[in-house]
Amino acid sequence: MASGISLLCFTASYAVALGVECVGLASRWKSRRLAVLLATAAGLLAHTLYLGKRAALMPATPLGNHQDWFIAAAWLLALAYLAAVLNYRRASLGVFLLPVVLALLAASMFASDAPIASFQAPRVWGRLHGLCLMFGTVAVLIGFVTGLLYLWQSNRLKNKQLPITQLPLPSMEWLQRVNNVSLPTAAVLVGVGLFTGILARVASVPGQNFVPWTDPVVLSLGAMFSWLGLTEVFRLFYPPAREGRKVAYLTISAAGFLALVLFSFARTDSLHSPSVHGPSAGDATPAPKTTAGGPV
Amino acid sequence: MKLHMVGCAHHDTDLQTRQQLAFAKPQVVDALGEWTARFDNTELVLLSTCNRVELYAAREDDATGPGPEELFDAIVGYHRLAPEGFQSRIHTLDGQDATSHLFRVSSSLDSMVVGEAQILSQVKEAYRTAQECGTVGSVLNRLFQSALKAARRVASETPLHRHRVSIPSVAIGEFAAQLFERFDDKHVLVIGAGEMADDSLRYLRDVGAANVRVVNRSPERAEQLAAKWSGVCYPWDSLHEQLAQADIVLSTTASAEPVVTAGDFANRVGPLRKQRPLFVMDLSVPRDFDPAVGDELGVYLYSLDDLDRVCQRNLAERSRALPKAEKIIMEETMQFFAHESHRAAAPVITGLRRGLDEVKEAELDRLFHKLPELDEDARAEIQRFADRLGNKMLHPPMESLRDASKDGAPHGLIDAVRQIFRLDD
Repeated sequence: MASGISLLCFTASYAVALGVECVGLASRWKSRRLAVLLATAAGLLAHTLYLGKRAALMPATPLGNHQDWFIAAAWLLALAYLAAVLNYRRASLGVFLLPVVLALLAASMFASDAPIASFQAPRVWGRLHGLCLMFGTVAVLIGFVTGLLYLWQSNRLKNKQLPITQLPLPSMEWLQRVNNVSLPTAAVLVGVGLFTGILARVASVPGQNFVPWTDPVVLSLGAMFSWLGLTEVFRLFYPPAREGRKVAYLTISAAGFLALVLFSFARTDSLHSPSVHGPSAGDATPAPKTTAGGPV
Repeated sequence: MKLHMVGCAHHDTDLQTRQQLAFAKPQVVDALGEWTARFDNTELVLLSTCNRVELYAAREDDATGPGPEELFDAIVGYHRLAPEGFQSRIHTLDGQDATSHLFRVSSSLDSMVVGEAQILSQVKEAYRTAQECGTVGSVLNRLFQSALKAARRVASETPLHRHRVSIPSVAIGEFAAQLFERFDDKHVLVIGAGEMADDSLRYLRDVGAANVRVVNRSPERAEQLAAKWSGVCYPWDSLHEQLAQADIVLSTTASAEPVVTAGDFANRVGPLRKQRPLFVMDLSVPRDFDPAVGDELGVYLYSLDDLDRVCQRNLAERSRALPKAEKIIMEETMQFFAHESHRAAAPVITGLRRGLDEVKEAELDRLFHKLPELDEDARAEIQRFADRLGNKMLHPPMESLRDASKDGAPHGLIDAVRQIFRLDD
């Protein structure tokens, strides 16, 4: 069953779910929510099977190459969206979260499918590094979306605008709560990701305690971690930054740093390239060649 | 079936008249008991709210029962009022008009504020009370069940009830609910103790608000309001301190000057709040809160004008839904009467069929007795012939009865069929 599943299958499912949500802006019909749920669940199932198939071919998946990393991050975000649809009925979150899922999948199409160095590094540090950064990315993206929604809601209420019947938004209290959780979560995950990345790097080049601090990926990740760390310190000593629009501004700015990291990771990543240091023994299985339509 | 409605409502009587004719719940029970004893075999439901007093009376049979005059006398007589002063203010409806009226009342199309939800529960309460008193029979059961069905259809198939039109409901349902996820953990501060505060607290309690604090210049009224809503009363001097702790503020004083100025808020309240969101409903005229307070970070300030604009817009939205709601009422009324007409013709149709079956069975018995040599197949064939013949003979009169029933109970035709076929015999 999984052999016929391609990237296009679940991308199309998420696009259908987004389409249903968007059509709902013009007119709401009774089974709209069910249609969104079914399309997302179908997409997520295909997505899971696809990642499972990739893991069977290459055990390091989703950390084996850039492409898989983006696909897995999209899977996590789609899972978070499905959980939100099931548990938080009062708002249409798909209009805001599904485009981010689709953007991650689109990024995966342009990302390299060559094996990345961290996957050649000692298994524990390399995997912890990749997973922490993936979860951290999703936390920042969720914070980004809820931050934008918070600012929009706040602006609407300040201007006494009525709720949009066709597009119910979450309450500001809920958005602030999600924002307040996403920011420290992202700070911890990115911090652990950065630290384990350094450890993996040091361990992968025995005898050389060399960390390329000027590498764009390390630089942008370091800047992002510094920003997240500073915001947490700022919030600790300045209570107004734990409430209202300031939290939203902080999460949105964190997403700016994330964009830099992802760009460096996807386009200018020499650090994770096996060509620089050569594959280490044991697990340098080349990634199966993939296209937008899946592996060929 | 006979149905009458006698009563008055807000659009043709003043408040004083309605108050004179109104029935408290114990009086409803008492009056229904008294009238049931007076009017034999008559079903009764009395609907008494602040906007209407209506007595519905029905009989299953068409025999003479209490007419509108007797029902009118019953209402004014119960209150020991002189009938002369009320005759022109009380209206009466019969049959289909009374049915349609009840359906419109239940669906809130006849309410002072069209689309308000309270009337449906008042109709249900009147119906339940009459059931408990034993004054509801099969006719009013069917009528009120149909009225509730019509109201449900209007609620689900039109946006009539979706648009809030009262100031507190708009403030809380449309705006505060966008700010807060829940209300049970929020501090509600009431400044002033006017009637508007009372109304708004009712809505806030409905959405779960429990922590109510009242600050008023007159401690007595503040204590009364706080006691009514299980709140706590604080002295007027603690206003700024209470504002710093509040999540929702309801301001309804009669002060000629702003109670909270922008300077006060920025210097005495803002620093303590640390930009925590604050929802302020300023329901006073003139305003209690300086409009500049709304520019403070985290403050969402709504004046009476802001909320009234939304109410007017929602009222216009409701008006747009009226034609569809009226169409539903018409459909339900027609359907109710079609069912009632079928019910009226049903005994005649049953009698016709039973009479023919009796003749058929007697003749078949006689025939089979005279022809004992017939085998089972021949007997079955003759039986089928007799059944088909009977059905074909009955078909035209039954169709005529059913067709005639579509436009109301066809009493003339029913009587004619009864006489022709001697069904009463």
